[in-house]
Amino acid sequence: MTGAVCFGLDLHMAKSNAVKTAAAKEPAAPRASKANLKISTSSTAEYFSKNLQQVGFSSQVKAVLTTLKEAVDNSLDACEEHGILPEIEIWVEKMGAGSLKNSDKIRVRVSDNGPGIDPEDVPKVFGEYLASSKFGRGRCSRGQQGIGISAATTWAQLTNASGARVTTKTKAMRKAFSALVEVDIKNNKGVLKEKETLDWDRSNGTNVEFIIDGRIQLNGEAGILNYLTGTVLVNPHLTLHHNLPCGASEDGGGRALERISIPRVTDTMPEIPEATEPHLHTMKLGEFIAHSHLYGRVKVDAWLKRGFSRVNEGTIKDLIATGLKRNFFDKNVDQLNEVEFKDLYTKIQNTTLIAPSTKSVLMIGEEALAKSIQRVGKVDFFSVVSRKPTICDFKPVEVEIAIARLLDRAGENDAPIQVLRFANRVPLQFDKAACAVTQAIQTVNWRAYGLGQPKESLPLGPYIMAVSIVSPFIKFKNASKETIDASDELVEEIRRTLIQAGQRLSKYIKKELRANDLEEKLRYIEQFGPILVDGLCRITNASDDRKKKAQDGLMKILGRDADAAETALAEAEKKLGHGSETVENASEIESRDGEDVDPISVDEIEADSKSKSKSKKKLSAKSAPAPKKLPVAKKLADVKKPKIIVSKGK
Amino acid sequence: MAKHSSGMARVGGKDSKDLPKFSRDICERLLADLERAKRPVLYATKCSLDNSIYNHKVGFLTAGEKKVATELNVSSVKKMSRAIFLLEVMLRNLETGGVNTKRELYYIAKGEVKHNAAMKALDFTDQDESDGVIDFICELLECYREDFNVYANDRGGQTYSQNLIVTETLVDGDTAVIDLSRLGTTPFQPKNRPQNLKLSTKKKLDFCLIVESEGTANTLVANGFTKRHNSVLIGAAGVPSNAVRGWCKLIQDQLDVPLYFFGDLDAYTMQNIFRTLKAGSAASLIRNQDYSAPDVKFLGVLPEDIAKYQLPDYAVKESDAQEGRALKKAHDALKNDPFFHDKKNKGLTEILNWLIKNKRRCEQQAFFSVNPRDPLMPEKIIVEKIKRGNFV
Repeated sequence: MTGAVCFGLDLHMAKSNAVKTAAAKEPAAPRASKANLKISTSSTAEYFSKNLQQVGFSSQVKAVLTTLKEAVDNSLDACEEHGILPEIEIWVEKMGAGSLKNSDKIRVRVSDNGPGIDPEDVPKVFGEYLASSKFGRGRCSRGQQGIGISAATTWAQLTNASGARVTTKTKAMRKAFSALVEVDIKNNKGVLKEKETLDWDRSNGTNVEFIIDGRIQLNGEAGILNYLTGTVLVNPHLTLHHNLPCGASEDGGGRALERISIPRVTDTMPEIPEATEPHLHTMKLGEFIAHSHLYGRVKVDAWLKRGFSRVNEGTIKDLIATGLKRNFFDKNVDQLNEVEFKDLYTKIQNTTLIAPSTKSVLMIGEEALAKSIQRVGKVDFFSVVSRKPTICDFKPVEVEIAIARLLDRAGENDAPIQVLRFANRVPLQFDKAACAVTQAIQTVNWRAYGLGQPKESLPLGPYIMAVSIVSPFIKFKNASKETIDASDELVEEIRRTLIQAGQRLSKYIKKELRANDLEEKLRYIEQFGPILVDGLCRITNASDDRKKKAQDGLMKILGRDADAAETALAEAEKKLGHGSETVENASEIESRDGEDVDPISVDEIEADSKSKSKSKKKLSAKSAPAPKKLPVAKKLADVKKPKIIVSKGK
Repeated sequence: MAKHSSGMARVGGKDSKDLPKFSRDICERLLADLERAKRPVLYATKCSLDNSIYNHKVGFLTAGEKKVATELNVSSVKKMSRAIFLLEVMLRNLETGGVNTKRELYYIAKGEVKHNAAMKALDFTDQDESDGVIDFICELLECYREDFNVYANDRGGQTYSQNLIVTETLVDGDTAVIDLSRLGTTPFQPKNRPQNLKLSTKKKLDFCLIVESEGTANTLVANGFTKRHNSVLIGAAGVPSNAVRGWCKLIQDQLDVPLYFFGDLDAYTMQNIFRTLKAGSAASLIRNQDYSAPDVKFLGVLPEDIAKYQLPDYAVKESDAQEGRALKKAHDALKNDPFFHDKKNKGLTEILNWLIKNKRRCEQQAFFSVNPRDPLMPEKIIVEKIKRGNFV
């Protein structure tokens, strides 16, 4: 399952592995025994086992989804770390009644082609909280703290008295290793049971299976299908096979599984950027001091330059200018006392530093996103915008947006659009209202771009809007990572990206309206021409000969107009797309530079001089032909072919 | 300019008798163009403020040189077809002597479409559409819709007098004589066809008073205004309708009597009500000649009346949509309306400037506050203002 990605115990958290709880928080009764007053220490596992709702296990439906999500996230992270194109297969099925009231017994199984896990690391990965190779590394990985998969094991253990069944094999192993992993809740350790080795039909990979209490919800915003749609969208390099209950039953209880395969649309692995050292202005005093302990006996000068990003000789000179002596920087860092640390920290906070690097931000990429969005349904038109990474709240952030109009929802003009939110390529499915993404969408005036929108609400229409936020330091509102904190800077950055996508959309919609207008005019010619001539002949008492002659003359005049309208219509259609390139044929994507931009929005965007220099790329495509027969211009019937336009270099 | 049968001058020199021929001529021209596969073009007078000219010697807003050309193409074919269709209906009205309101014409047009499936595309979805086409036809032919026997509802203009006699020529040629002094407290309701009316008086009238509020006009009459004063008293009922405008024009032309307008002191009254009564409107440039009374004077309420009679007045609330809009329109009028640019109307322009600057308004009924126990006080003030020449 997860390669060597989730086991490196983080030093920062080692101390916090124990959570102190006052056993007697309430005022002690006079006759209380001494034991009641004793302060006890709980393990991290004990804390989380009692607070699983904080990490996504707050309802039966969420428990299934969170378990699946954590397993898939780990698979994807492991594959990407090792440069393996992920191929993941999942099974979710109902096995009977659950032990909890009104719950079902659900089997969640995830199998991947990842690097595999060394047997000795298996208990750490699946059975130990805060055992992570990724915490605080400043990388845009899906998992960060090493909580999620252990919480899933705990949930399985609590509801079905059985942990996670793991089968794994690395390339170096001759046989696969299989075991049941459980969490030793008292000591926050993973425990292996029923260990065995077996022959496996693959050279490497991991298979993990949980039997848990929960309920399967396939559809709706919180449904499994929505999660899978989102995961597929932001992971163009993923091949996914899902086995989900089929049939009419919404909860899928007892139904046969249907296997659906969604192949990858690109063989290019996302570039995993190197982690960067922490930035001094993003640290608190405690973290700053703790960070020094990682470096042992080194000089302050070297510690600052090597341990942090954006610190160089110039920074040291600036600090000397604030009153620190040169020889202070020659001291060993482990000799500094608390007062000296505090003084140094304060002076650093008052010193100007270059903003953190944005190199650590992982991008899905416009082309990959443009291809991937074709997998969410029958797409009529879409617009993709990927802004260059920027700094929000002193942390590097990258926002990517895809808006698509779906043909199979053509009738849903009055329903709010479907919003897909992503944080580090993980779909967020709950607590939508408080999320920075939702708030940013609501602040944009979508009416200006041709979409209906009630006041301060989501726009309306058969659209799907995917907003992906990627950052090594995403600020979530809760441990279950369901909502991104809506800071002003982040909301503004998302808003700007949305405006760009809206402009693109607007161009399409306006051209489409123009095409409709022209079509209507052509229809007018057929309808009104004969009526006009009839009326004139009645008033003037003209003969039939004159009438015929006038009708011929009118058709000549309007025929010329019809030709002109047809040409204009064809041109309008041409502007919507180029030629007949299909979206599947990526090699034929055509570049178009210097596209005109909506002036209103330019004003909005140019308000920030920083953003002016940012390179922006946009993609748009039109697919799934919907030809319309026109009364006069029948040859227009073939104008709506799937097309793609790419504009670059903003 | 030719003289209308009622004695009024006409724009374009056409009357109802000319219209069928003139309409056929235009249709003939259109048909001939079509036969030659030449694109026909219709020219209509542009009725808007930017094509309005005001000359105090003429006394009303007239049309400038601008024309709206409608060329037959895919964009205009619907409009042109509808115009020819409705023109045919209106010509039939003339032939049969039918008289209709615009609303009725809308339904007649719908009826035609209902009984002829080939015309379905012409159907009007609401009256605004058919009204627009009627206006287009009138601008095209430079005629009044009344020339086609299409009238608006009679509204406003309730008239009282002890000395006025109206002789009406009916459609069948008969005449009816109405002695207003014999109607008691029942007012005479002027018709939308002023050209059918002839006025005379038992003795020479002193003045004609047009009151903005119909209610206040009724009160003055009830208190014996017309008994004590040798006058004609009219209740305008807000923005004067065509009937009121034509009626006032008729009184001005046929009775040679000074006309005074008594209304609120606010931008809406000055710009929308009084200006329309005195000089017509930009939307009806082709008909202002017969539907405006250039001699009418603004009796008040004047800005100085507020101080002189200590009248209660109010601040204009810009937050109020209607009042804010009136203020904005007043700004526009000062900037773009040729009526307020004319030096002869300097006094009226100054009132408009005063209203914009002070943002105060005073209603005509405020005169009832001068001596609350004397119901005749407003009448006394009005007559005193006329005698002293205290008007603009």
